[in-house]
Amino acid sequence: MHLLFIRKQLENSGLLRMGADRPVLLYTLVSGILFGIFFGLMGLGLNFIFGVMKIVNLAHGDFVMLGAFGVYLGQTIWGVNPIISLLIEFVVFILIGIPIYYALVPRLLKSRDPEMLSLILFFGFSQTIEALATMAFGNNPETIDATLLGKYPFHLFGQSFQFAWLVVVLVSVAAMVFMYVYLYHTRIGIATRAVMGSREEAQSSGIHVHRVSALAFGIGLGLAAVAGGMSPFMLGGIFPTMGVDLTAMSFAIIVIGSLGNPLGTILGGLVYGISLMLMQTYLPSWSSMVPYLLLIIILLVRPSGLLGRRVRHA
Amino acid sequence: MSHNLLTVTGLTKSFGGLKVLAGISFTVAPGEILGLVGPNGSGKTTCINVISGLYKPDGGQVIFKGQSVTGKPLHVMAKAGVNRTFQIPKPFKGLTVKQNIEVVQHRQGAFQVVDNPLEFVGLQKFQDRDASSLTSGQQKLLDLARALASGPEMLLVDELAAGLNPAELVEIARRLKHLSERGVALLVVEHLLGFVNELTQRVIVMNAGKEIFEGDLDSAAKNERVVEVYLGQ
Repeated sequence: MHLLFIRKQLENSGLLRMGADRPVLLYTLVSGILFGIFFGLMGLGLNFIFGVMKIVNLAHGDFVMLGAFGVYLGQTIWGVNPIISLLIEFVVFILIGIPIYYALVPRLLKSRDPEMLSLILFFGFSQTIEALATMAFGNNPETIDATLLGKYPFHLFGQSFQFAWLVVVLVSVAAMVFMYVYLYHTRIGIATRAVMGSREEAQSSGIHVHRVSALAFGIGLGLAAVAGGMSPFMLGGIFPTMGVDLTAMSFAIIVIGSLGNPLGTILGGLVYGISLMLMQTYLPSWSSMVPYLLLIIILLVRPSGLLGRRVRHA
Repeated sequence: MSHNLLTVTGLTKSFGGLKVLAGISFTVAPGEILGLVGPNGSGKTTCINVISGLYKPDGGQVIFKGQSVTGKPLHVMAKAGVNRTFQIPKPFKGLTVKQNIEVVQHRQGAFQVVDNPLEFVGLQKFQDRDASSLTSGQQKLLDLARALASGPEMLLVDELAAGLNPAELVEIARRLKHLSERGVALLVVEHLLGFVNELTQRVIVMNAGKEIFEGDLDSAAKNERVVEVYLGQ
């Protein structure tokens, strides 16, 4: 459904009309980069959680969905600007994530196969969120007026694009800069990288691994919510069952970049975005296969991801 | 009042049906070096894992400075003054050698065991390199520096000598003895008896999770049971 929306956006731009006078390839590539930066944001939270805890949050897409509804409800009920909603959501989801971590993750990590068990547990969690969201919001897709983020198009390389796309890209870049500063220039961020390297040695270094991980889990959900809040402007209609597709998309993105390396997600997002746009433009009927095709190719050719150093033992 | 720094009493640990520790007991005094030796699978590393808080014991007690610390997690033990090295160290990849030490939380009120842990282990010149670029022997030394950075009074050393060349072995033995002279107690798990001999004469020989001998190395070498299980003769 989201891919259809993206295609509609490209059609509206005149890109897919026969004989269009704009340079199709250039427009496609620039759109791919813009969407790719957003896709990087989409996978960032999932990859951060995997990197720190080595667990797969299969409910990631559902938190993205909740973030989307948060912005939608804030706008339609209280008239809150989406950007203000995003900031509130980021903090609220961090605060929600911390108790969820303590309720679920320490038990998982004590098991013999936490990665496998995390798939089952978070699948159940995902289904629960989806069911509750369906009861709360109904099944009809909801949309937000994209002109809320700016009425006039912006121009890049002689091409015009929706202003909302620029805002989403700026928000995504801000989230990535936040992650970089957090991980490389704060004491707790460096401790988080130590936990990513070795939980046991980090503990032996006096680092309270659960405290660091709980905050990382919260930030992971906060980033998912921010991606969700921006998704109506990039992906179109929002609905309670959209989470499954978004989890699959995010998983493809982080595997392409490098599983467990949050900043590798940016590269994964770009590759995914450009590939998707090229397929939408030249082979539209195949475009829904993009995430899975890329997953298969990467797993066959470079299983550690584009930025990975060695094959994972996940 | 006991003058022991560490007292281990009747420690037991099983994995599934396999009893890896079968009630081991010993004491370590401040500044003392105790060697823990034995054949593969005798439970030496599990003993360190249980004392350091990596595993919870099934039974028995660990008393440190008169307080029970049985089953406390690694970070609590590190802050209490018990730290350890790992048989297969995993330095924090993506962090420089220096950052690997900076990230360690020096426990409050601890005396400075060594002024500069990196200099102490001879890795000062690699401080700006990514830790993952070090050789396995250097990674072991970095692991030792990391443990020292927290300011431990009791250091559990798990097979530090494996992978070091003879010159490095002599040097590291000299430095471990220096730590002992500064009041740090060491429990050294080791395969290389020559290395243990450089450090201490007091050893415990383990087999099947139990102590089969305690005394000096020379006597251990003459003990019939030790020779039978450890040397396989």
